[in-house]
Amino acid sequence: MRKLLHALAVGVVGAGIAHIVILLLVPSFSERDAWSRLAMVAGPNKVVRLDADIGGTPVVKALDPSFFEAACRFDLSEGVVRIDNAGKVPYWSASVYDRGGENIYSFNDRTATDGSLDFVVVTPAQMIELRKDLPQEFEKSIFVETPIDEGIVVVRAFVPDESWKPTVSRFLDGINCEMQ
Amino acid sequence: MLKQSVLIALALALAVGGGAASVGLVLGSGEGIGAVSVGPWTAYPDIGTPEADPYSKARVARDGILALGRAEGLSFAAERDSDGVLLRRECTYRIEGSLPIARFWTLYATDKSQVVLRSPAQRRPSLNSLEVLRQPDNSVSIEVGARATPGNWLAVSGSGEMSLVVTLYDTPVAASTGISGIEMPRISRGQCDA
Repeated sequence: MRKLLHALAVGVVGAGIAHIVILLLVPSFSERDAWSRLAMVAGPNKVVRLDADIGGTPVVKALDPSFFEAACRFDLSEGVVRIDNAGKVPYWSASVYDRGGENIYSFNDRTATDGSLDFVVVTPAQMIELRKDLPQEFEKSIFVETPIDEGIVVVRAFVPDESWKPTVSRFLDGINCEMQ
Repeated sequence: MLKQSVLIALALALAVGGGAASVGLVLGSGEGIGAVSVGPWTAYPDIGTPEADPYSKARVARDGILALGRAEGLSFAAERDSDGVLLRRECTYRIEGSLPIARFWTLYATDKSQVVLRSPAQRRPSLNSLEVLRQPDNSVSIEVGARATPGNWLAVSGSGEMSLVVTLYDTPVAASTGISGIEMPRISRGQCDA
């Protein structure tokens, strides 16, 4: 009997340890995180619509129904990534997420030069290289310096009412997410 | 010898099974650490940021959430009305009061698994601050329910529990210092269909 109680006590303490270990391992082993879900539908540097408006179930939970969203995965190990678009919408915001889906940098249209979407994601080392001789086409871009190699960029655009849907859709479909 | 190994197996099974089950239970319950409550409304300003607690991080990874950044906005969700009773789709509610400073806000209803409720009759499932009618003192009064009402109406249908979500966009409240001392509207229950 005492042995059984001893085994149960060891089991409960072990469960506590397992709880902590599993909790800390979930982010690194999850196959249902945003990155994995995006990887299933599109390759890197391809812009994917996250909202349900394009038909089918959303790739990643895109919660607010008055927003359209688009995302692309990037890998900085071979170059910098530039996200840009010439269009105008009432409101847009952009976020850079790391491989695990943590938001490391976000900004909106009020932060951008004349409200247009144009930013470049770089690593600190690439930033130093770029500063030496800034290419002409990057003159108006916002630089997002991140300590990560792989990540996700999400652009969200507000749809104030039904009549804005085509315009906002066109804005998101026109986004480039290209390696430079 | 056999008894010994049975006991060891029991301890191991309890440890691994109990550990996994308790993690699943906590992540599924929706309760979180780092929540900030204002009346019936609850927000998680840290979710999806590197400063988040391990439970939020695990939930973000498991559900594939891409949380709003600080410069984007902040979501407040309410599962209960201002009297502490669970919100139900069979009932009508009035959301009354003023909202914190933001460029604009949106309001929508979700079910328990955070899927947006589709509203009947081709109405949009959400309201936003650009389209609502305001009171003379700039506060708002919004009716939530299945029956059409004059003024601001958020249409919901079906039955069961629901949550109401207000998201403030481009708001100083999202900076962690701004969250204390803000005012959120009251949610009061009207009538319920039996």
